[in-house]
Order: sequence, then C-alpha cells, then structure tokens
Amino acid sequence: MDTKKNVMSILEELTGSNLGDKMDVNLFESGLLDSMATVQLVMELEEKCQVSIPISEFNRQEWETPSKIIAKVESLQ
Amino acid sequence: MIDNILKQIDQEAQAHPNRIAFDHLGQTNTYQELADWSSRVASAIQRLDLNHDVPIMVYGGQTFDMLVAFLGAVKAGHAYIPVDVHSSEQRLQTIIEAAQPGFIICVEPLPIETAVPQLSLTELHEVYHSFPIKQGEDSLHLNDNFYIIFTSGTTGKPKGVQISHCNLLSFVNWMKYDFNFEEKNVLLQPSFSFDLSVMAIYPTLTSGGTLKVLPKETTDNFMSLFSVLPKLALDTWISTPSLIDICLMDQNFNPQNYPQLATFLFCGEELTHATASKLKQRFPAAHIYNTYGPTETTVAVTSVEITDDILAKYARLPIGYVKPETTIFVKSHRNKKGELLIAGPNVSKGYLHNQAKTEAAFFDISGVRVYRSGDLGYFEGKLLFYTGRSDFQIKLNGYRIELEEINHYLSEIPFVKQGVAVPKYDQQGKVKQLIGTVVLKQSAGDELTATHRVKQALSKLVMPYMIPQRFKYYQKLPLSANGKVDIKALITAVNAHD
Repeated sequence: MDTKKNVMSILEELTGSNLGDKMDVNLFESGLLDSMATVQLVMELEEKCQVSIPISEFNRQEWETPSKIIAKVESLQ
Repeated sequence: MIDNILKQIDQEAQAHPNRIAFDHLGQTNTYQELADWSSRVASAIQRLDLNHDVPIMVYGGQTFDMLVAFLGAVKAGHAYIPVDVHSSEQRLQTIIEAAQPGFIICVEPLPIETAVPQLSLTELHEVYHSFPIKQGEDSLHLNDNFYIIFTSGTTGKPKGVQISHCNLLSFVNWMKYDFNFEEKNVLLQPSFSFDLSVMAIYPTLTSGGTLKVLPKETTDNFMSLFSVLPKLALDTWISTPSLIDICLMDQNFNPQNYPQLATFLFCGEELTHATASKLKQRFPAAHIYNTYGPTETTVAVTSVEITDDILAKYARLPIGYVKPETTIFVKSHRNKKGELLIAGPNVSKGYLHNQAKTEAAFFDISGVRVYRSGDLGYFEGKLLFYTGRSDFQIKLNGYRIELEEINHYLSEIPFVKQGVAVPKYDQQGKVKQLIGTVVLKQSAGDELTATHRVKQALSKLVMPYMIPQRFKYYQKLPLSANGKVDIKALITAVNAHD
C-alpha cells in the first residue's frame, strides 16, 4: 500500500496531475513524461521506495502506466 | 586551414572512397556515396533553374539521405534549411512562409499541403542513379548562405538564422585546429534542425571521420540507449549536458566499456559543476570541454577544458576562451558584468527576410559584424563566464526557447483565457521543466482532462520540447505595474519550496 502511495505522489509531483483514476494511462504517449522526467522518476523511485533500478535495463514498455510502475517496483522490493 | 568545406569533403572522398562517413545503427554509407550522390542531387537541383538566393528545405529525421540532400543543395549553390520530422504542422507552415523555399526535399512525407515543388524519397533515390555528376566550378560563393536554421521567436514566428560558407569556415577551422577530429568516430545525437549537430557534421566530414548516429527513438528508451552506445566505438562525444546526465546514471558507462572515448564536447546549455565533476571522476583521462555560442554566431565561439584545477577553482564553470578571429565585448557601464556582444567572421548576416529583427540584433563596426547575444557575462582575465539572460529566453535540455513564443500560442487556444510558461529550476540553477500556468475560460472538468486538452492543442502549434510538462490552473495571474502578466513573479512562485 505504501508503495502505491509513494509512486502516485512521485508521479503527481512530476506530472502535476493526480493520476489516481488514470492508473492505465500511457505516461509516455500522453506526453506526461519525457526522457528527462523519466530520469527523475527513476531517481525518486530509488530514493523513496528503496529499490535499485538499473537504468540500462529500463525498458519503457514495462514502465508506461502508473499500474505497471507499481507492479514493477513491488517486484523489485 | 581549409578554404572550402565542399571541396574538402570531396577530397576526403577521393583519398579514401570506401571509408564510412555515416553509421546509422549499423547501416553504413561511404564517403564515395556522400560525394557522388550529393553531386547528382546538385545536378537535379540545377535543372530547376531556381534563383541563386532561394533556399531549399530538407525535411526528415537523422538519416544519410538528409546529409546527401544538404550537400546536394549547397553544391548547386543553394542554402539548405534542415527541418526535423518532429516539427509541428504550425511550425512547418511558419517556416515555409518565412523562408519561401524554392524546393522541398522530403526525406519523410510532408504532413501539410504546400504549393512549393517537392522531391519524395523515392525520387531522391532515383536521382542518385539517374542524374549525372555535377561538373564545373562551385556554385556557392563564400558570402552565400550555407545553411539556415530556424530558432524560436518571441511572437510565434520562428527566425531563420543565415549562416554563410564564410561563417561556417571560421567555425570549422577552429574546431579542427583546437580539437582532434582526424579520422575519429564522432557521436551525432541532436536532430539536424538543432545547430549542435553542425559541431559534429562538418569538423568530422572534413577530417575523414565517421558520424555515429544516435537516433531520438533509441535515446528515448534507456534500455535501447545503453545497448547501442557501447557498440558505437566512440572517440569523441558531442552532446548537451542533459544526455550525459542520463548516461552517468549507468555504472557501466566507464572507460573499461568505452576505451576509445577520449574527448567530450558540451554545448547548447550550461554545463554544471556537478555534471562535469562526476564525468571527470568517471573518465579521469578524458578531455572534457565546455563550449558556448548562439546559433547566430555559428554554433560556438568559446571553449575551455574542464580540468581538476578548474573544478577546484570555480563553483560555476567558465564558458571558455574566445576562439581565434572572434572578439567578445562585455557591454556594461561601471562594473564588468553585462551583455555579451560577439564580433567576427563567424557572425551571421542576420535573419532571413526579417529586416526588423536583424536590425534589432545585429550591427556593424567598421566592416565587422556584431551580434547582441542577450546573454549576460563577465571576463576574468581571458576566461569568460555566463551569468544569465537579459530576457525570457531559456535553455531546456539544450533547446533554445523563447517563453514568449509559448505564451503566444497558449493564448491562441480557444478555451484558454491566459497562459504563461515558466521555468522550474533545479538546485544547480538549471531549467528542469516547464510549467504552464493557465487561466481557463470556463472550467474544463478535472485538471487532468484540461491538461490533456491543452497539451493536444499545443502539439499542433509548437515543437514537442516547448510543451510544458506540467500545468497549474489559476483564477487569475499576477499582473505587473504595466498591466502585463508578471512573468518574474510567476517564476518566483513556481520555484518557491513547498
């Protein structure tokens, strides 16, 4: 539960939008995240969710929606 | 010293025809192909019998056909206008209106209707095989335009910066003299409509090197970026500091995996102390250079190697020593800080078909061209330092943006009453993202829907990098004493710590 809250607050800070009811929005195609914001996303997730995300293995398709990000972070914890 | 870019590239092709000039993810093209095909394109263009001073627009991505089309245009005596495939339709329209090109080479299909004659990619490929090689003397004179690059303009009309063969020679000779490009593998990352690409293209091609392309689609997905990068066998790195920030996040980005990588050249935005020191720690033996210059003065005019000494001495890094042939004056009254005025053979004649903007930004002193950069700075001895802008122009990930251009288009959206884009800075004082501050005409449902609608409307009007990442909605925006939106107050507000 904490992971979800953390991820959603990081995304809100980065996109300026509360995505609570848009869990399956494609963050890249919708223009909500560009590549520099993605770098910030990775750094924030590592810091606030205590996970290690090797950037060289960061495949965009696996991180493209809020739901997918939460699942991915949980799998890494 | 070289005295002709085109002749030099053709000489490289004669000396080593089979050497690779361009490597696009393993798809390679030789110097022979570059020289031969561009000469055939030049013949095809000459058959059109266009007036000498009419430019040719070249539209597409980061491919070899673009490069062939550029050189073909110039060999036929016409300047080329590189326009990236990611440009909005509105931008394409305004560029065509402002530039009045006589011909458009469409390496990618043009998404808008225009009366200007066009050449499709299929037709371009036919030209490579069916047209003769152009004979005779060069059609391009030293004072003729070589390329015209469009930059952001405050009123929503982009300005076409005219760079002559002379301007480009002054830049390329300096690059070749100060940095070793001989037969090097050089990174080509920016799109061709961004003049940082010129820093890679002409110094490399006049030195027998190979351009190693890193397309936008590869850079955008980090997994593909890091699988491609080590395979490029790079000797020389040219990019904005933003790209190196991404690369430094990967621990495998180090001299063991990049053994040839010996030189880093940065331009396009401020190189922060944090980025430079991290890179210097990771690649202790490499030479790291900070460079600076506006598009109007041909890519770059200052450079300095960022050594351990420089890192120890300065918290904000210098932008460098002024290149040979060029002079920079600091316009100030008493103290030494002021606007940078740049003079010399590298300074553009001005903006294409735009006398008012040209006269506002350029002047001559006893036959020498001078550009008012709008950048503020000061000298410490011969070393130049940058301190900021005198207006609302910003750099975001290397892209030069006039905030007023975004504001102009935001306010054109039918359901927006008022809109102003403001930069959000990181701790280093670098622009991290753009925030759109908007007053809507009527409530447009929830904020996410409103943001989606604003972004969609903007995507038809401006370049993708000009679209604010985030939006904040207000009942009204703060006004300054003269009744205009107080942009400075908004900048302070969005950067306040919460």
